Amino acid sequence: MGKDRKTPAEIKDLATYDNDHLVEKQNDSLSELLESDFLDQSTSRRDFLKVFGFSLASAALLSSCKRPIQNAIPYVIQPPEITPGKSLYYATSFYDGHEYSGILVKTRDGRPIKIEGNILSPFNREGTTARVQASVLSLYDDARLKLPEFNQLPVEWDIIDKQIISELERINLSGGEIVLLTSSIISPSTIKLINEFGQGFKNFKWVQYDAVSYSAIIEANSICFGKAAIPDYHFENAGLVVSINADFLGTWVSPIHFIPGYTSRRKLDNGEKDMLRHVHYESGMSLTGSNADVRKKIKPSEEKILLIDLYNKVAGKLGSETYPGILYREDLTELADNLIATKGKSIVVSGTNNVDIQIIVNGINYLLGNYTDCIDLNNNIKIASGIDSEIENMVEDLNSGKVKALLMYNVNPIYDYPDSQRFLAGLKKAELSVNMSVTLNETFGTGKYECPVHHYLESWDDAEVIPGQLSLVQPCISPLFNTRSFQDSLLKWSGNINMYHDYLKDNWEKNYFKYSDISVFRDFWNISLGNGIFSYPVSGNKLFPFKKEELPRVMNSSEKAESGTFEVIITESVALGTGMHANNPWLMELPDPVSKHCWENIASISINDAGKEGIQSGDLIKLADALILPALLQPGQAEGTISVSLGYGHTKSGPVCTDKGVNLYTFIPTKNGNRFYGFVADRLENTLEKRELALTQVHYSMEGRPIVRETVYSEYKKNPASGNELHKEFESTHKSLYPDVKFDGFHWGLSIDLNSCIGCNACVIACQAENNIPVVGKEEVIKRRIMHWIKIDRYYSDTPDDPKVYFQPLTCQHCDNAPCENVCPVSATNHSNEGLNQMIYNRCIGTKYCINNCPYKVRRFNWYRYTNNKAFDFNAVSDLGKMVLNPDVTVRERGVVEKCSFCVQRIQEKKLLAKLENRVLEDNEIKTACMQACPSGAIIFGNLNDKNSKVSRLFDDQRCYNLLEELHTLPSTGYLTKVRNDGKTDS
Amino acid sequence: MYNSFPLQKLNSLFFIIFLSFIVFPLQANTAQPQDSIIFSDRTFNAEELTRGERLFFGLAYPDGQDINCAACHNTRVSDTLNWNPDALEISKKYLDKSASDLNKILLKPVGKKLIQVHKGFQLTPEDVMLLKAYMDKMVVIGLKQDKPVITNLLLFIIASVLFLFSTIDLIISKILKRCWVNYLILFFTGIFIVNTLVGNAIAIGRSQGYSPDQPVKFSHMVHAGQNATDCIYCHSTAQYSKSAGIPPENVCMNCHLMVRNGTRSGTMEIAKVVSAYDNKQPMEWVKVHNLPDHVFFSHAQHVGAGGLSCLECHGNVKEMNVIEQVSDLSMGWCINCHINKKVKVESNTFYTQYAELTSKIKNAEIDSVTVSMVGGRDCMKCHY
Repeated sequence: MGKDRKTPAEIKDLATYDNDHLVEKQNDSLSELLESDFLDQSTSRRDFLKVFGFSLASAALLSSCKRPIQNAIPYVIQPPEITPGKSLYYATSFYDGHEYSGILVKTRDGRPIKIEGNILSPFNREGTTARVQASVLSLYDDARLKLPEFNQLPVEWDIIDKQIISELERINLSGGEIVLLTSSIISPSTIKLINEFGQGFKNFKWVQYDAVSYSAIIEANSICFGKAAIPDYHFENAGLVVSINADFLGTWVSPIHFIPGYTSRRKLDNGEKDMLRHVHYESGMSLTGSNADVRKKIKPSEEKILLIDLYNKVAGKLGSETYPGILYREDLTELADNLIATKGKSIVVSGTNNVDIQIIVNGINYLLGNYTDCIDLNNNIKIASGIDSEIENMVEDLNSGKVKALLMYNVNPIYDYPDSQRFLAGLKKAELSVNMSVTLNETFGTGKYECPVHHYLESWDDAEVIPGQLSLVQPCISPLFNTRSFQDSLLKWSGNINMYHDYLKDNWEKNYFKYSDISVFRDFWNISLGNGIFSYPVSGNKLFPFKKEELPRVMNSSEKAESGTFEVIITESVALGTGMHANNPWLMELPDPVSKHCWENIASISINDAGKEGIQSGDLIKLADALILPALLQPGQAEGTISVSLGYGHTKSGPVCTDKGVNLYTFIPTKNGNRFYGFVADRLENTLEKRELALTQVHYSMEGRPIVRETVYSEYKKNPASGNELHKEFESTHKSLYPDVKFDGFHWGLSIDLNSCIGCNACVIACQAENNIPVVGKEEVIKRRIMHWIKIDRYYSDTPDDPKVYFQPLTCQHCDNAPCENVCPVSATNHSNEGLNQMIYNRCIGTKYCINNCPYKVRRFNWYRYTNNKAFDFNAVSDLGKMVLNPDVTVRERGVVEKCSFCVQRIQEKKLLAKLENRVLEDNEIKTACMQACPSGAIIFGNLNDKNSKVSRLFDDQRCYNLLEELHTLPSTGYLTKVRNDGKTDS
Repeated sequence: MYNSFPLQKLNSLFFIIFLSFIVFPLQANTAQPQDSIIFSDRTFNAEELTRGERLFFGLAYPDGQDINCAACHNTRVSDTLNWNPDALEISKKYLDKSASDLNKILLKPVGKKLIQVHKGFQLTPEDVMLLKAYMDKMVVIGLKQDKPVITNLLLFIIASVLFLFSTIDLIISKILKRCWVNYLILFFTGIFIVNTLVGNAIAIGRSQGYSPDQPVKFSHMVHAGQNATDCIYCHSTAQYSKSAGIPPENVCMNCHLMVRNGTRSGTMEIAKVVSAYDNKQPMEWVKVHNLPDHVFFSHAQHVGAGGLSCLECHGNVKEMNVIEQVSDLSMGWCINCHINKKVKVESNTFYTQYAELTSKIKNAEIDSVTVSMVGGRDCMKCHY
């Protein structure tokens, strides 16, 4: 309601408005005034005093006594659903061509400010990933394309439409090929529309292109089972998972879908006595690998040998045909035995984009009978449908001049197509080239026409990620800029006068309404919109027989190992994904879960190799021409391999991501018709230059202290408190001079299950979005001044060669005997009667005593003003970027300490709701931002005073301990011990 | 000398700070009156403009008639409510209209109120032309700002000078033979200076008594008092939202679709609302009750859950023509209420969760539960 909240129309004006302008003007007038009165004339003493007094007085006035007039501007006609000061949630879906989630969007006074998972969505439940959480900030990105352009000049939509229609007609009449190049599309209505659009032309081709390709899996399934699809993997049904280079919890296919299933079989908090075992082979240390029970190092070149050997061992034991060949360097008999023991309940996956490898994997899974319960080919995941050869052929056709018109939607091939120069050359040959993109990227400006599209939070659409699981996309804010949805453009260009919204409704009425038991379509539509999802039955579950024809060829073909010193593995980054959202400062500052670096990509090298080559962390190493990256010594990295991540190295995608790191897409070769995410480096050259790495955690070891307590599954079964013996000991010896703390009513507590937490970082961004946490930039991260209120600490144990990895989310522990409270000279941090460790910014004078005295180091200091400060121009300087701020949380000033508040604004909101509804507060009604975002349900918040609450039961669990409990700080945060599955059966 | 030096320095600082309080209002009226106004048809020179001004102020009638526009239409910024539109408002209204339009409203007024007040004017077309010229000038120069009263500052300066004089005299010059006079002066001026400074320092950031001009002369006395409209009718979200809500114009139009003529305000003020509604322009009200950004206040908590009456914080709005901030909205004021106010333990099931308090009430150890007993003095109830 305040005037500072702009309407979308005002924002439109502001988008082109330069703030400097005003400031300069003010400065000019002041200097003019001073000059005219003070400098030009012969100055008498009297004048001097007058001016001096006046200017000092106004300076004092401006600095201390300014009280601006605030306006309250109501609606002219208030929409009935909007209540100023109350949040409104819209159900919609996130799909960017790479990742899908059913979500709820929290809007406040018309602005989307937070993303939550849609609990009704069967695909991701309530969980979200960091990228989905951060997508709300991309809506307010200043680098978004704001208006249509023709040859880099702004034009009206009408003119653009007329020109494109006439050019399309001309090309069509001459029989030229018209190609629509899009990211993978999962919207049934859009697919229908594209097909209809294509029918209008004699020679039309639709090519789907994924920045990170899953082509090999799709092709292999087509060869083996006759269905070109990525199957759904049901980790919740599996007893044993063997993964080779598949980072299914971090980046592979759809982590948000796999995490809930995987962690549901790892949780032991409900007295469960069954646990999934996870064996992982990989080169670099991935998020999934660091969660595995057994992790083994492997070079990419060894993968096929391993799989052939494993196939033969399994086939031999099951009496099936074997194809004897080279043996893997380790004995795989035990693994094969284990797989056979869990026959039908195991999953073998490989993340390598190689058809041969995927065929062998399919063969193993088929032998083991995993296609009934664990791998579902009927209800496949449609997340990616790009076939590598199709795009190759398309680029070929472009360059040969066969393609006359190229329409691109939501793709950035100039950045992420390996041979982008060839693509660009081809693009220039096309007579008509149209780019439809949300934000500025490398492809922008290469085509003739720019037809910017809406952000997904401004659009209508639908999605069918798994057959039968439909969801809707609805706008949560009216378009901020002069953009138009891709579908509306297609409709316009095909001469259809309908808007896509009507088209979508029509399609639903014709095709899906029949599955519902609601009698009126209007009601069906409204209910579906409200729920965000609609599921309908898909006909018949087919059994897919395995076609063995290809297997002998695959098993016998052997590739020559390429010569070279280092095998480089190119992986997707957990934070940035494909790099499409790189201009999002939250994601840029999100550390990699394992290496903990941010703001650029690094080359992970094993400690042994680094020793041999004389490389230290931060040394710039040269892997190829134009590939110079800072090295990071990574425990667990396979010898002879180097891992680098994609997503960085943009040249033209907005100020945040430009010139940060190196673009690795250009180093991706094509092998056997598929893009292969790795190459062999001939040499490794230490450039002898050094760069400070932006690491958010610089210690690796727990230094022998029981910070993360762990046990193994066989021990746990004997004694649930195993590994946590210290807890009882400390509890019995606690003595305190302070009186016992006691809370009436509520005592808030948080429980974190270290066995469920996989370290995915979704909570970090959720917290950042909820609590207006500033982005500080690379330089400040290097100075260890990152502001995240929740961080995920990563520790290693055992040897650097073969370490065990631990993830531990760390927030303010809200100690009942809080050491920080005793040392604050102004009582800016003290205890509430609900057990919260309160932090009062307006009282804080910034002595930082509390930071010094906090044993957990969770307090953050505002070294600078990060809002409206040009030195930190990420998202809190422009009016547009600030629209994402949560109005319920104070934006902190320079010089104050801040920290996790247990999302007190959410506590207060729900308590008030209960009071207004004259009822008691229910358990799990209050969800902190981290808890709500967590896809694995590792974080539980609740009232410790209520003995029946979930959090109380977890606190009573024998696995529960407090961090540094020997200090008797009495934290309100409890951790559950980590249990690794050692695979030993009951003795 | 050593002793007096810091005081001197302080005093000059005080002087500058205090000057700043005073200088600010003076800055507002810096626009220079133009010497001539150019119309589409003719230009008026300075003399004619002066004649127009004198007509407006009722000074230009030789035959002793007393038509004084300025008597009803303020030409100065006023802090008391004048139901009649001020000179600037009417000038703005007629800026785009011709002198003959003005002539019509002056000589052949329509509307109950106008006929009553614009009765029997005898103005020649030339007079109206001059009046119009002056009114157009008014749009440029705006209303006059009253000069701020500087008594307090003068007193403060005198006190400071006296204080300084006595200090210097005591230590160095020793002019006054009876030094107790100096001590007396030091004592009283010291008290005055400290008192003024402390009083003003506390008042920084608070705005008790703030009652700014609003774009429409909306009277709560008329609406909430005389017409007895319930607060919640317009501020409808007070019971369930953080914000009480400024009513959107469609709520105004519920009544003003029919009611177009105010008893005292005539048609001018209501017409503003109607035309804003018709043109889909939101009304830019000036916010009266402003809390600092680091304070979270919820009307739902206080009105909805707490069942407080609006009057407790906002004062007797029913008797305010111009809305005014009655409470100082300081933290002490909030906390005092939290200490004394009782929560509805008996009627609200929510409070059954406070097991200890509930049992104490049962055992008659306490007879009521105040807000502070359920955390009403916790910082994070309002600051987060």
